[in-house]
Amino acid sequence: MQYASGTVRGGNARARAMLRAFKQVIRDYEPPAAAGNNSNAAASSGGRPPAASRSQKYDIRHDLDHRIIKPAFQYWTTQCRPHSVSMGNAFTFLKLAVAALDRDMSLAEVQEVLVETIDAYIHERIDLADEAISKHASSKIVAGDVILTYGCSNVVEVLLSDAAREKGVDSFRVIVVDSRPLLEGRALVGRLAEAGIECTYILLNALSYVMMREVTKVFLGASALMSDGSVLSRVGTAGVALMARSNNIPVLVCCETYKISNRVQLESITGNEMGNPDDVVSDGCAMDGAGGSSEGGGDDGSSSGGAQQTKSIISNWRTVPNLKVLNLLYDLSPAEFVSGIITEMGILPATSVAVLLREMNPQDTN
Amino acid sequence: RCHLTGSTAASPTSIDPEHRTAVALPVAAIKSLLGVIQRSKATTMMGLQEDLRGATEEMMTFATESPGSLQLLGGRSHIALASGCELFMKYVTRAFLELPDFAACIAQVLERGERFAGISLAARDRIAEVGQAFIQDGQTVLTHGWSRVVSNLLVKAAEHRHFSIVVLEGRPDAAGAKAAKVYADAGIPTTVVLDSAMACAMESADLVIVGAEGVVENGGIVNKMGTYGLGIAARELGKPFYVAAESYKFARLYPLNQSDLPPMGPAAKLNFVDTASWEMTGGLVGKAKAPVNTDKDGKVDASSVPGVVQFKPNQIKVKNPPCDYTPAKYITLLFTDLGVLTPSAVSDELIRLYQ
Repeated sequence: MQYASGTVRGGNARARAMLRAFKQVIRDYEPPAAAGNNSNAAASSGGRPPAASRSQKYDIRHDLDHRIIKPAFQYWTTQCRPHSVSMGNAFTFLKLAVAALDRDMSLAEVQEVLVETIDAYIHERIDLADEAISKHASSKIVAGDVILTYGCSNVVEVLLSDAAREKGVDSFRVIVVDSRPLLEGRALVGRLAEAGIECTYILLNALSYVMMREVTKVFLGASALMSDGSVLSRVGTAGVALMARSNNIPVLVCCETYKISNRVQLESITGNEMGNPDDVVSDGCAMDGAGGSSEGGGDDGSSSGGAQQTKSIISNWRTVPNLKVLNLLYDLSPAEFVSGIITEMGILPATSVAVLLREMNPQDTN
Repeated sequence: RCHLTGSTAASPTSIDPEHRTAVALPVAAIKSLLGVIQRSKATTMMGLQEDLRGATEEMMTFATESPGSLQLLGGRSHIALASGCELFMKYVTRAFLELPDFAACIAQVLERGERFAGISLAARDRIAEVGQAFIQDGQTVLTHGWSRVVSNLLVKAAEHRHFSIVVLEGRPDAAGAKAAKVYADAGIPTTVVLDSAMACAMESADLVIVGAEGVVENGGIVNKMGTYGLGIAARELGKPFYVAAESYKFARLYPLNQSDLPPMGPAAKLNFVDTASWEMTGGLVGKAKAPVNTDKDGKVDASSVPGVVQFKPNQIKVKNPPCDYTPAKYITLLFTDLGVLTPSAVSDELIRLYQ
């Protein structure tokens, strides 16, 4: 449910949460022949009742995969929210881990091994990867830099905090660019400011002003990296990258290798995810219940007492036959806008993502 | 150390008629490292790596900070030196992974290392072989700086085709003048122009060929100051821009822009002179109009040359970095001993080499 409501946001957070949930599922797993209570397993797999039959050749791996893990994932993806590339890759890893188990292992052993494997994956592919990315990025931050970032990226936050600790909070400034309707940047800028870093907060429409005058480097996060080097990230990122490029400012995209997708996507619409269109239509500035603002009130005399959002003129868009409201969540930044991609392996040009993919998955090469 | 100073046989002060056989600085460094291996008392790979790393650091310090470093590096950067040593270290580590027996591994490394100098010369020939095809009869080649790789390529190409060369003068070390002499001696019609004439000369050129101090991870190059401008002019006027470089120059650097280059040691002093270029040690390339004064070391007193402008100490700032960075997008192709590569293929090679 946390996925659907948006409480869990961001590629890393979603992948971590999914893997943690699967660990719980595995711990609670009981084979079908066990008498009585399968309710735990049933509940976590979304209410689907376990198969009653017990085949002669019971293979724990097959059972785990087909009865528990795959249905759970499908349920999440169809009922809650489409999965991110990071979740998809983590899920593929989990299936491979299950398939790689020795078929004669006991239940307790299987559970222990799987839980350990999941922990190792989170630790290596996310935690340690972020540390490595932070170290590589630190070599590109020099005193006097004005660093721009967009939205709220987990790994960018890590690398900026680390750099502030290492080089001193006064050695660089940060500009956080934010946009409606999610306004994710507010949380990031709050945390960075608390760490003592000098921060500026702007909305996307002020981008060209700061970009031309002050910015020396741009650090961006990514939801996924396509094999041709283009970057899938929060909607608005492509504009930031384009603006930086045209002002000759280096754009560094920070992305752990587990987010690399072997898909090639040519434009932003395919496979994108749509959010709630009403979020776009409403006035986001009233979200915190800061009522009494005069902008919203105006001529029609509607008061904004309490937490009531001011209704915008197109809030009845559903009744208008030729009006559509689009709230896309991701966009694609072409490889040409990206000066370098920082992964745990080091800094690479965007054109080398395919090679990295090949080196990581030698078994997939024909 | 004697290996390093020995390689100044191709030093700036004399045109070695056998420049073909002169050993490149990184190759001399590798020979030194081989010597370190031979004399090392280490019995484990870790110990040996310690010795090698220490020796490399000493060499780099010597090359960049010692008083003679200007002559040693010839006003160029130490990037090729660093990358050559690093690749050699990687090679030694990998050899150990294949042959865990320490003694046998060392024997193999030494044996292959002995061939390395030969491999380097062979690399230049291979580069000449692959690069020649890109120069056609009747064309004009624009080049910059002094590079044994490029001169080998052009001289060899001239054996089969007729083309002419335009050389940028190459201040402040008169690198272009040196190169022009070599080409003229080889019978190739050669023209020298001012460095500032590069964009103007680009119009009548058909292609550009330069060498590289280092090839960086994104496929760009670090080379003598002026290469970046040449690249921009070439792209703007639609002329192909080729780089000739051995694969040991592939460095693990990722410059984002000009200010993101590593520090390159002491900059050569600029003398503001009206006549032809001066070499950094003060020797004459052009002719002075009047007799000049030399001090007791044989160095020419710049103020005695007509047209010299002299400033009071700290009156102005002078910046003279030896190298600039040319991003990959200005480079058409690279001619290397691994074959003809596109700039994006360089990173692929580096991933493989540093796996």
